[in-house]
Amino acid sequence: MLEIDELHVSYGKVRAVRGVSLAARPGRVTLVLGANGAGKTTTLRAVMGLQSVDSGRVRVDGTDITGKDTHKVVRAGVSLVPEGRRVFAPLTVEENLLLGGYSTSATDRADTLQKVYGMFPILSDRRDGAAGLLSGGEQQMLAFGRALMSRSKYVLMDEPSMGLAPSVVQTVLMTAREIADSGIGVLMVEQNAEAGLQVADEVVAISQGEVGFTGDVAAARADRAILRAFLGESALSN
Amino acid sequence: MSAWYDAHLILVQATFISFLVALSIQFPMRMGVFSFAGVANYALGAYTAAIVVVRSDEIVSPVVSVGAGVLVAVVVSLILALIVRRLRGLYLAMATISVSLIVQVIAFNGGELTGGASGMFGVISDLTIGSVIVVCVVAAGILTWTERGTLGRRIDAVRDDPELAVSMGINVNRYRLVAFVGSGVFGSLAGGLEVLLRSTISPVNVGFSLVVTALTIIIVGGYRSWVGAAIGAVIVTWLPFYLQAMERYQQVIYGLFVVVAAIFVPGGLLGIADQARRRLVRRQLEHEDQEAAAEQDAGGAAVVDAVGASRKEEAR
Repeated sequence: MLEIDELHVSYGKVRAVRGVSLAARPGRVTLVLGANGAGKTTTLRAVMGLQSVDSGRVRVDGTDITGKDTHKVVRAGVSLVPEGRRVFAPLTVEENLLLGGYSTSATDRADTLQKVYGMFPILSDRRDGAAGLLSGGEQQMLAFGRALMSRSKYVLMDEPSMGLAPSVVQTVLMTAREIADSGIGVLMVEQNAEAGLQVADEVVAISQGEVGFTGDVAAARADRAILRAFLGESALSN
Repeated sequence: MSAWYDAHLILVQATFISFLVALSIQFPMRMGVFSFAGVANYALGAYTAAIVVVRSDEIVSPVVSVGAGVLVAVVVSLILALIVRRLRGLYLAMATISVSLIVQVIAFNGGELTGGASGMFGVISDLTIGSVIVVCVVAAGILTWTERGTLGRRIDAVRDDPELAVSMGINVNRYRLVAFVGSGVFGSLAGGLEVLLRSTISPVNVGFSLVVTALTIIIVGGYRSWVGAAIGAVIVTWLPFYLQAMERYQQVIYGLFVVVAAIFVPGGLLGIADQARRRLVRRQLEHEDQEAAAEQDAGGAAVVDAVGASRKEEAR
């Protein structure tokens, strides 16, 4: 289990995250909902060690990783799919994937590469093409595949549907579901609440740096405050 | 050859030394580290080698005197890397230029040790241009290795998106440390070797103008590879020599050349060469595609002929 316990993070005097506690479990998708500036991305960055933590603990299967250097967090089994995908455009698809497997041995890397190609045939087809020439959806697949290359047990996804065509959003989120089904714990920040709820197991709603709701998807759908805040008034009537 | 060589000895020497100076800034830049400490390292290498040679009673091997300079520069670079480890971009550039200027101030005020404003003379050694060329070739060899394959891609990743690189498990701080140490080695080699070749060094040789020269070399040649630094070093060293015929317009034409290079050739001359190579490859691929398409057409025509023939048979 990836546990975030009473996490506090601030930027100077601004307290962006105030006592957030949540967890990601193997085989499950934990969806983090929240408005812009609620502290979702900050939470993910703090887990990765990209942002320093004021107080609180982050544990991976019982091992404390709070405040560790980012490359050590990756080695502990957590990887990040950053917002906006951020692939290395001039490099080929395969080169991008190999960079993702930086922290594994050469034999593991070759092995994982075949698995990733099995999971994403489109990446296999385009393996020698420049990553920058892929479509948005394909680049998101590449970002997923790159995160899987590190053989992480937990994958953090920051807004995977952002900037994608509506027709592709469903495919991308279903892929996140498949990744969880393969036994990986997925912690997903997503603005598209309706699409996110379709693939999630558990929901955490954050507002102004604090957790307002934790529960499974059914409980989230029954919670009027969640519906009003993230799905709009029309969802309340039915 | 020998007469030409004797007449141009200084320029030949300057070409190789400029190459090393440019590397001391190009190498960290390739890892995304905007450090101008290379010039400080040049000064440390030059002054340390000079002091070792002048102070010792016996003849000192260049390996010892230049080696001492490299050692001092590497130690200073490591300390500097720790001090500025949180700085990026322009702030890092400013801080490292300051370090270079501080070293120059120390050279000015070093009293007997550095010879003050007049600098040091009589740094005699048996160093030949051959050894300098060997150093440059070895440096180019090592750099070629860092620019290819897996290591090359990792360095590209560290430069293009350090946060993403570290998120993939690459220890970006270690690469930054290597950038500073590399700058220390290349800069101090340039300084140490040059002082042994020219036998003098003074504070005016280690000032801001050296930063400008190194940057010009990298901009004109291209910053992405050591090859760019080599091209730039040749041009920046030899162009003023050939422009002497222009007399008073020499500076103007030289300046225009650099401005044009900076504006219209962002990847340097190396970038132009790369583009030309890519265009050639693309044209070749298109050509192959056309040939394949033509073959397909020919095949299609044969099928049509056969179909036509069988229809004729049927018609009969």
